[in-house]
Amino acid sequence: MPLFKKIGGKIMIIALPTKTSGEKSFISEQFGRCNFFYIYDTETETGEVYINANKDGQGGVGVKSSEFILKKGANILIAPRVGEKSMRILKSTDLKIYKSTDKIVKENIASFLNGELKEL
Amino acid sequence: MQIAVLSGKGGTGKTLLSVNLSYLADNATYVDCDVEEPNGLLYYKLKEKQTEDVKIKIPVINHEECIGCEKCTNFCKFNALAYILDKVRVFKDLCHSCGGCKLVCPTGAISEVDKVVGYVHSGSMFDTKIYSGEMIVGVESGVPIIDNLLKKVEDSDRLVFVDSPPGNGCSVMESIKDADYCLLIAEPTIFGLHNLNMVYKLAKVFDKKIGLVINKYTDNNMINNYAKENNIKIVGTIPMDLELGKLNSEGEIVASNSKYKPIFNDILKTIKKELVL
Repeated sequence: MPLFKKIGGKIMIIALPTKTSGEKSFISEQFGRCNFFYIYDTETETGEVYINANKDGQGGVGVKSSEFILKKGANILIAPRVGEKSMRILKSTDLKIYKSTDKIVKENIASFLNGELKEL
Repeated sequence: MQIAVLSGKGGTGKTLLSVNLSYLADNATYVDCDVEEPNGLLYYKLKEKQTEDVKIKIPVINHEECIGCEKCTNFCKFNALAYILDKVRVFKDLCHSCGGCKLVCPTGAISEVDKVVGYVHSGSMFDTKIYSGEMIVGVESGVPIIDNLLKKVEDSDRLVFVDSPPGNGCSVMESIKDADYCLLIAEPTIFGLHNLNMVYKLAKVFDKKIGLVINKYTDNNMINNYAKENNIKIVGTIPMDLELGKLNSEGEIVASNSKYKPIFNDILKTIKKELVL
């Protein structure tokens, strides 16, 4: 049984910065320096986990993280907040940012698909 | 001969010491390398000064010629380039002007333009030559400005006093790298001692000759003990004196006042002895 519903038939790729790996992880407070990214595809209804390779960089990690999720084709980002440079990049694309809740990844995606999350 | 005045903590008296010593020494040069908050010119009130721009090179991408190989974005260690929506984007604030992206680009799509990051003011007063750097607000690194300032005095046969930035970061290292003598200044507080330890270690790494001045000197001898433990030569002390503080806060060079002149004269003499001048 599918875990999440599609809304309006539009395919969405949702990116979330996470503390640990997997759909049961909590959301990371930091976007650029999160431990993992969870990338969820609403069409296949599956998610994939990626290690954030830029996590320990000395600067511009937000830039690299933004580049990474955009390369993965993300058009939705669910995060508590996003840094200045990342925001500048992400705002210049079609990607939309939604404010996460303090629940786990799975519940955040469900809340988003139910239209319960606010746009940042 | 270059003497760098530095302290771990801000507000301990780097500017007080370097301004007054350069004022007393004959034919000295004063260089304000604290480019993030330069205040040497509050004391040396220059009537006439020359100002020049400090420029660094920033890459620009010709998107027509770019083939999207991402060699440049992968090369940049400062993450100043990112490949976003099939275009290389430049983040000027993060760029350190190394020019590497231009070298690795296989199609020659990268060229460089100048970006102004700050200014160097110069002038003279009494018999002192004065240089002061100023960083433009919002620029992330003052190092190119300090570099420019020190190029102006590298071959100088005058006695050069370098007013360093506080802390022990990149800009401090830049300002002491050519110094012949590191003059540390600290105040006798726990915070002051902690940060003195930081810069002392830095000056050690650079293998410099070191002297220490204690500012706001009271009967608290925690700094004296530290100096004894580490074999640091104390070249002088400046007493805790409200009137001195008041004169200084009004932008006056306190060594021009006969009451305080001996304090700085003594320090200067000791340093000269240390340097065998």
